[in-house]
Amino acid sequence: MERRTGAHLLLAIVLAIGVGAARAAEPVLVVMDPASGLDRLTREQVINIFLGRFRRLPNAQAAVPIDRSRDEALMTDFYRLLVDKSPAEIRAYWARLVFSGKTEPPQKAHDLDDMIERLANTPGAVAYIRPDELSERLRVVLGLGLGLGPEPGR
Amino acid sequence: MSIASRTRVLVTPGLLCAALLMPLQTAAVDLSLHGFGTLAASRSSDGSAEPVRDLSQPSGITDAWSLTSDSLIGLQGNLRFSPTLEAVVQGISRYRYDGTYTPEITWAFVGFSPDPVWTLRAGRLGTEFYMLSDSRWVGYSFNTVRPPSDYYGTLPFNYVDGMDLAVTHPFAGGLLKGKLFGGESREQSPFGDLRFDLDGSLLLGGYVEYYLGDLQARIVHVGVRFANDLPLDAFYRTLPAATANELRVADRWSQFSSLGIVHDRGPLQTQFMLSRTHNDHGTFQDTWAGYLALNYRIGDWTPFIGLSMVKSEAKDLKHPIPGVTDLYQADFHSDHRTLLIGTRWDFRPNMALKAQVDLIRGSPDSIFLFRQETPDWDGSMNLFTLSLDVVF
Repeated sequence: MERRTGAHLLLAIVLAIGVGAARAAEPVLVVMDPASGLDRLTREQVINIFLGRFRRLPNAQAAVPIDRSRDEALMTDFYRLLVDKSPAEIRAYWARLVFSGKTEPPQKAHDLDDMIERLANTPGAVAYIRPDELSERLRVVLGLGLGLGPEPGR
Repeated sequence: MSIASRTRVLVTPGLLCAALLMPLQTAAVDLSLHGFGTLAASRSSDGSAEPVRDLSQPSGITDAWSLTSDSLIGLQGNLRFSPTLEAVVQGISRYRYDGTYTPEITWAFVGFSPDPVWTLRAGRLGTEFYMLSDSRWVGYSFNTVRPPSDYYGTLPFNYVDGMDLAVTHPFAGGLLKGKLFGGESREQSPFGDLRFDLDGSLLLGGYVEYYLGDLQARIVHVGVRFANDLPLDAFYRTLPAATANELRVADRWSQFSSLGIVHDRGPLQTQFMLSRTHNDHGTFQDTWAGYLALNYRIGDWTPFIGLSMVKSEAKDLKHPIPGVTDLYQADFHSDHRTLLIGTRWDFRPNMALKAQVDLIRGSPDSIFLFRQETPDWDGSMNLFTLSLDVVF
């Protein structure tokens, strides 16, 4: 009986881990200020900007990424859809770069209003939102999780 | 005065002056403070030898649980003067060459990035002998409890006073990055009860790196010209001059070439590293080292398995003295491999627990990366490590 309980417990843990890892990510839109003059970024460009590999926009302007760090579910889905990485992996990645004196992590917006203000006031700023947060003050430059093309986290 | 130090004297004050003047021009100077730490307990299966994390440590892991080898704390301040100019200072307290935890300044530089393509840094910089070697004290940034010692352990160099210049540009659908660096070491390395003074040793090197999708590859070459001999002058004086001259390392070069490949796709991360060390003297042995590590994320857990190896060969001397120089050269020999198995558990944000077993198998004459070898040392040993890694 004890053995069976142990086996059930193990099964429950494995299922819990599996289910946790398999939660489908909700769609995320990558946005810029409408005055930025850009209307499209590629997935590769967004990866390079948010992971600090190469922060230059197609118009040669320096790119400034902005994270929605207070909205954990949104940030989790963004990185899962972009590079299929968990929040812990993203933190480990930035620990490596920050403590070897390399690129800074993205700026942190407190909320949607703060993000919109940063996009408007920071040339080259790039951020992300949920589709229902879209307004005329934002321009979508890339959609993630919309079922268009291959996406690692879906 | 070497070329590197002359360059440093000219360039660093200019950047520092610029850094000091910037606050007058900009209203907001952004200061951020961060840190990282590792609390790790480790022990070995027997006390026949003490494997070290790297050659900067005077003693290694014993058959009693100890926090010594891998526990450390680091603090870092970033001062941003403008989007293009930043100063960084980092100090680490860890088990070091003199057996103390005296904190050392490991990074202290001014970085200037006029655009996303170019970056110039001058001051004290972490060494980039191999891929990931400039972050090898930041346990939270990798999955194993320590970077594989067979690969990174032969490096007693952690930082140099000098400068580096990096350029990044899109190329053939990916990103191409190149970096040149140079500087002088200010470090010491334990040598028995004595010290090998690395202060003034010149390091010059560069790498080319390419990112394409999930793949990152880097080729690095670094040359080190030692400023001083090993603290064995009395021994060298007993040898014929021609023989001693072949063994002295002062003003001789050691060359480090390496290839690093990281494939990072979703939950699976694969790392492959290979290095070749070549020496212009008969002391440190020409060495092949490498490792392959597989990490697979399952929820908050990341189990991993890795295999590392190191094998060196003594140089043929033109003027050997049988029974003397061969015994001397044998002190610098490595010939073993390590199977490492473990897991990382990200149990809460910015904290990770790790457990790892190292199965070291090799030849009894593999002693360069070990201390206090006894006649019982047979080249095989198991290590057990538990660690807590944090960033804050």
